[in-house]
Amino acid sequence: MGAVARRELLIIRRYPSWILGVVVWPVLFPLAYLFSSRALAGPRGEGLSLFAQSAGTANYVGFIVIGATAWMWLNITLWGLGTSLRAEQLRGTLESNWLSPAPRFAMLIGTAAGEAIKAGVFFAVSVVGSLVILRVPVNASVPGAVAVIGLSIPWIYGLGTAFAAGVLRFKEANAIVYFVRGVFLIFAGISFPLAVLPGWMHRVAEWLPLTHTITGLRAALLDGAGPARLVPQLTFLAYSGVVLAALGYATFQAVDAHVRRTGAVWTH
Amino acid sequence: MRRLLAIARKDLLLMVRYPLLAVSRVVEPIAWLTPVYFLGRAFSRGADAVGFAAWTGTGDYMAFVVVGWILSSYVSAVLWGMGFALKTEMDAGVLESNWLAPQPPALLLVGRTLASVLFTTVTSAGFAALAVLLFGISIPGRLLPAVTIVLPVVVGLYGLGFLMAGSVLRMRDANTLIDIGNYVLGLLSGRDYPVSILPRPLIVLSLLLPLTYGYDGLRAALLGTRPLVPLPAEIGLAVLFMVATVAIGVWGFGRLERRCRIEGTLAQH
Repeated sequence: MGAVARRELLIIRRYPSWILGVVVWPVLFPLAYLFSSRALAGPRGEGLSLFAQSAGTANYVGFIVIGATAWMWLNITLWGLGTSLRAEQLRGTLESNWLSPAPRFAMLIGTAAGEAIKAGVFFAVSVVGSLVILRVPVNASVPGAVAVIGLSIPWIYGLGTAFAAGVLRFKEANAIVYFVRGVFLIFAGISFPLAVLPGWMHRVAEWLPLTHTITGLRAALLDGAGPARLVPQLTFLAYSGVVLAALGYATFQAVDAHVRRTGAVWTH
Repeated sequence: MRRLLAIARKDLLLMVRYPLLAVSRVVEPIAWLTPVYFLGRAFSRGADAVGFAAWTGTGDYMAFVVVGWILSSYVSAVLWGMGFALKTEMDAGVLESNWLAPQPPALLLVGRTLASVLFTTVTSAGFAALAVLLFGISIPGRLLPAVTIVLPVVVGLYGLGFLMAGSVLRMRDANTLIDIGNYVLGLLSGRDYPVSILPRPLIVLSLLLPLTYGYDGLRAALLGTRPLVPLPAEIGLAVLFMVATVAIGVWGFGRLERRCRIEGTLAQH
């Protein structure tokens, strides 16, 4: 696992433009929503009071930055993990790696470790960028934020593992990433208050772990909510972590058995 | 022309081979636009975006955004078509052999965008129909002035595409470069909002981009929004920028490509 993580870091070093991505995206990505909100608020704040009514805060900058950052975390994990096996398939190295006597699941976990390092840098830049460049007003509870992030790790990487296995099976990374991240983008309220969703969409949103990651982080970082006030979100995230981590492992095992039986490891 | 069509035919064949990708090209913009729609609702009274109307002259926020997204899908088609195509060929190990074929590299690049632009036209039509159905927008404007402004803007994008392709050849990594380039271009040129809301230094940058006039003129023609400058002046600016970007792009690509040939890095990825 350590060897795979080391290999991932070597590849990352070989393509230094990823540094540009990790440094630039945390600040760049929320800007489209922020500028749109500025336009929607109007030159004299005509629309801002309407937003405050449904969101419970007029701090739309903090509201959007937190939602966008949480979604980007999921997005880079899906891309990184999801395309890792597919990239090896395209390069023609997957079959030889698959035949080595190393546990195959460890190869994927090693890749996840490389991705987690990237995500760590991403978060650090995001915090600095939000405070220094975007000047987001915060009233943070660090224990609350740490608890939400810590309990989000199992479900995000569990989903990423299931996803990587799915890509190996269906041999198409882009469309599957677009679909999965699209579902979260539409329902999880990354840029808008859930109160504006129609009833059925609201019910779907409540079943998505990303919704609870975002609402938990907003409460912890903008409203100073500690772990005690975040029990509903933390409980949901804990259950999601167990379910999605198990699903990731089971999907990987099933796909592994399928591609070895059908000899589809090297075809693309 | 026959060679251009052969490249386009090959790309279309590849697209047909991955049908999920075609579906995602129609559905994905809807996924991106749905949060934008609900963001608009959060700032609106009913369907009327009151604050937005004060900036632009139209309260139909979603129609404004959808028109911008259709033009931006052509921007992506050209930038991805040229830059990302090179990276795919690098990874597949066929770039060097294609490059050694007796045809100018520029022809290879333009060829790679043909299928992409055709595909974009089809998927944009599907996307517009879905947007009308889901977001209830209406686009009441005139088509001829809209096409007159869009045409030089899209041709001008090829200049930018050449520069992008040259940079991909040098850096051997397309995703980050194209993703960020595409996104910044959308941010600065007002894909989703009027550029007048940008901070002052960014407005200056925005007014230097041909695409700004493309978005602005297209919306003025189709939605009756207030243009930055009168429409004929925007068309003139778009033509001027088109000539300049294509000249700079072809020149820049030639220099970057020559350097790769000298260093022998075409086969690396």
